[in-house]
Amino acid sequence: MDAILSVRQVTEHLRQAVENRFPYLWVQGEVTNLSRPSSGHVYFSLKENDCLLNCVWFRGQQKDEHFDPLTGEVWEDGPRPSLASRMENGQTVICAGRLTVYGARGQYQMIVELAQAAGLGLWHQEFEALKRRLAAEGLFDPEKKRPLPREPRRVAVITAPTGAAIRDFIRISGGRGLGAEIRIYPVPVQGEEAPPRIVEALERAGRDAWAEVVVLIRGGGSVQDLWAFNDERVARAVRRCPVPVLTGIGHEIDHSITDFAADYAAATPSHAAQLLWQERHVFAQHVDGLETALQNALARRLNDLAMRLAHAGRALALLSPLERLRLQEERLHHAVRRMNTALEASLAEKARRTESLALRLSGAGETCLQRAESAAERAAAPLLSLGRTLTMAQERELSRLETRLQSLDPFEPIRRGYAMACDEEGNLLRSASQTAPGRAFSVLMADGRIRGTVTEVEPLPEGETPPLPPGRSARNPS
Amino acid sequence: MKKKEPTFEERLARLQTIVSALESGNSPLEESVALYKEGLAHAAACREQLEKARHDIRLCTETGTERFEEKNLDEE
Repeated sequence: MDAILSVRQVTEHLRQAVENRFPYLWVQGEVTNLSRPSSGHVYFSLKENDCLLNCVWFRGQQKDEHFDPLTGEVWEDGPRPSLASRMENGQTVICAGRLTVYGARGQYQMIVELAQAAGLGLWHQEFEALKRRLAAEGLFDPEKKRPLPREPRRVAVITAPTGAAIRDFIRISGGRGLGAEIRIYPVPVQGEEAPPRIVEALERAGRDAWAEVVVLIRGGGSVQDLWAFNDERVARAVRRCPVPVLTGIGHEIDHSITDFAADYAAATPSHAAQLLWQERHVFAQHVDGLETALQNALARRLNDLAMRLAHAGRALALLSPLERLRLQEERLHHAVRRMNTALEASLAEKARRTESLALRLSGAGETCLQRAESAAERAAAPLLSLGRTLTMAQERELSRLETRLQSLDPFEPIRRGYAMACDEEGNLLRSASQTAPGRAFSVLMADGRIRGTVTEVEPLPEGETPPLPPGRSARNPS
Repeated sequence: MKKKEPTFEERLARLQTIVSALESGNSPLEESVALYKEGLAHAAACREQLEKARHDIRLCTETGTERFEEKNLDEE
């Protein structure tokens, strides 16, 4: 032996040997002894049967992933959290890093720089590639999506006839919809034969042209379990199907290729049933709502008609002859009031004018009167004196006439001894012919009256004058 | 069956039309009452149809379809 090596020297030799031999390597194994102390570093071992590789993933290396560490593809949907936070015991992972020797423990270990869940990574790589290819072909174009029928009556369901998927679907649809026929197209939903059988069922459903919608459902499972739905053949058959396709594939993460190709992707079989049919009580509620609306509408209609009737009644009353009479009477009253008012005003005006005229007149009249009075006085003075002269002359004439009148007094002759004969009526008898024998007569004398009856009428012969009464001359025969 | 029974949707649509017609409020009284009666009948029929609504679940076979047995659901 050339030399005795110290522990440090051995360790150093080993370190160099290991690090030179394995500058960078990929290792796949199952995680075990996982430990996450508060330092933030992650310690674990990779195990394969009876072999173990200690690993340390320092905090500084635990970066969120912006690209797939295995393929170098950039994640289109943004960075993903590092596996360091999600890693679990029992998980198969692929780690990238370098081997080194940890002298303090006398161990070799792997300094991890990248880690990726093994299955997922590879599946995912394949998945993304296919997705990108089909997307480029336009298989997922939104404008190719057909609307789902509402409340379908004929539904084709492609699924395993014995499974949670169909059970959930039937259970959920039980309280929904208006009664549909559901035809189950039985297929295996995993394994090698699943994709061609699903394609066949899709084609059959399309050929049957019976269903309004095709529902492709599968209960939840791991990525591997659901791999049939990432099959290109299935995706293409879905797109080819002449009937709208609704998928309900229970995923743990993300969608399947078939979901992207489908017209609508529900999250689960139950969700698919929910999307197809409304709950029955929603319909019942709708019917109730319409019935209430119906009742309200009729009530409003009746109310409206009643109001219109009342309105028409009022309008009619307004147009009635009685009402028209009343209106005209009112107008008449009004006119009369106006007329009276006008008349009173007019009268007042006239009275005022009369008064003012009277005032003016009375002033003028008095002057006039005074003037006339003085004129009359002046004119009366000569008249008065003339009057007095005339009166004296008349008085003299009057006494003369009186004297003459006294001489003509019919009773004068009587007083001188003549008599006056009258008939029974008191009429003066001027002629003998005025009486006849037997008629009464009276004779008026100066001192009394003599009554008697005519015994004889003796007219005087022609030319003979009656004998004059004593003492009288014949000068005054009348 | 003498005359095809209207579907639930047809009845519902008719009911909706009737409600709209009544709400627009121009129909004569007699017509309004007739519409109302028709609407009530549709509502009752709709409820009955809902009451009776059941899905008919069938399984496709090589030759045609057969009634889908519920017991299948308990397997797996």
